[in-house]
Amino acid sequence: MPLVTTPAIVLSALRYGETSKIVRLATREHGVQSAIAKGALRPRSRFGASLQVLSEGQAQYLAKEQRELHILTAFDLLHLHVALAGDLPRYATASVLGEVMLRFAPPDPHPESYDLFRDALEALGQAPTPDVDALGFRLLWHLVSVLGFAPSLEACARDGIRLPETGALPFSTREGGALCPACAAEHGATQLPADAREDLTALLDPGAALPRLDGRHGAAHRRLLARYVRYHLAEGAELPALEFWLRRPWEAA
Amino acid sequence: MSAIEALITELARLPGIGRKTAQRLTFHLLQQPPEQAGRLASALVAVSERVRPCEQCGNLTEEQPCAICRDPRRDPALLCVVEDASAVAVVDRSTDFRGRYHVLGGRLSPLDGIGPESLRLDPLVARVRGGEVREVILATNPSMEGEVTATYIQQLLAGLNVRVTRLARGLPMGGDLEYVDGVTLAHALVARQEVS
Ligand SMILES: [Zn+2]
Ligand SMILES: [Zn+2]
Repeated sequence: MPLVTTPAIVLSALRYGETSKIVRLATREHGVQSAIAKGALRPRSRFGASLQVLSEGQAQYLAKEQRELHILTAFDLLHLHVALAGDLPRYATASVLGEVMLRFAPPDPHPESYDLFRDALEALGQAPTPDVDALGFRLLWHLVSVLGFAPSLEACARDGIRLPETGALPFSTREGGALCPACAAEHGATQLPADAREDLTALLDPGAALPRLDGRHGAAHRRLLARYVRYHLAEGAELPALEFWLRRPWEAA
Repeated sequence: MSAIEALITELARLPGIGRKTAQRLTFHLLQQPPEQAGRLASALVAVSERVRPCEQCGNLTEEQPCAICRDPRRDPALLCVVEDASAVAVVDRSTDFRGRYHVLGGRLSPLDGIGPESLRLDPLVARVRGGEVREVILATNPSMEGEVTATYIQQLLAGLNVRVTRLARGLPMGGDLEYVDGVTLAHALVARQEVS
């Protein structure tokens, strides 16, 4: 059994038996992996308190060939993203990113998504409260893009015809972006208003200033993003953190 | 399904019990006099019929309100907020806390779809608004979810006339610094206290 050492972030940690935990890890070198941390719940376990959702460290595990569950031998904590627990909107957004990683990051090496996820958690923890919403949109679009589903806005998602640089566009979640008038007529699309298009363009461009989306625009954008993630990534699977983020239960209080 | 198989299956549903342990327990019971199994069965029926959450605090009890809420020697100004009823017993047994409790019935967890509406938060706010409570001690678990639940409650109670505190995260007694993990040590350093 080869011993694997890799940077990793805990995506979920479930109790297993009296004293162990089963963790799912986003690893930088080997995609998403599951491992059992034996004795992790014992008072003086060598894992200590490090196996928390969203904690970042150097994982070491014995990789079992052909098996789904590896044996975690060490997890040296580098960073516990405690700042993410500073308020519920922040934590809910981080949870969506974690859920997308958990369900959709490939089991093969994919350092791009790992690095993006790690930097996203850091950025989200540090962001001033008024920015959390828009930053969450941007980070989620970036994660979706790095996983291979970037929405097309400059050219028709079907035939690549250049689209006008400003103004409203027909947009199809199913086709993965904006469509030219001919494709829109044939395949159907919803209208992405000019201001929503501007917002989406700014969100997709890491160099652009973060747009301010007011209540109505924010809600519309959140629905668009959730629909997009569900369609391209979920394949019918339930995404509790995405639904939680969409329904914003903290606003009811 | 045979009777043996049915019992093994039921036992194996319990937390921390795998199939092997379930088998061992089943065969152990079969070797005991039948009265023993009868007592176990009636104890199971009795808890499921009689035990309910306390209407005031959410603790599990056979009477309304529970013994802790009824106890006049307990300080109604101190309220200790915990995730689950099992934590009431732990805190009560291990500490000399003599206030009252409030059981949330879980913790916030977006990944499990558990939001504020799933927790006993309205009754908590109502208890605090009642005016008797002077201090709310947040004793949620020292996990990310416990932490976000604590910060959420803290924000919920802000503006009400109540002191809100959080359990300190520190070093385990009887420990050796060498064996304490970095997270615990770092928290203990942040939460260090004046000794003189
Ligand atoms: Zn086209
Ligand atoms: Zn009670």
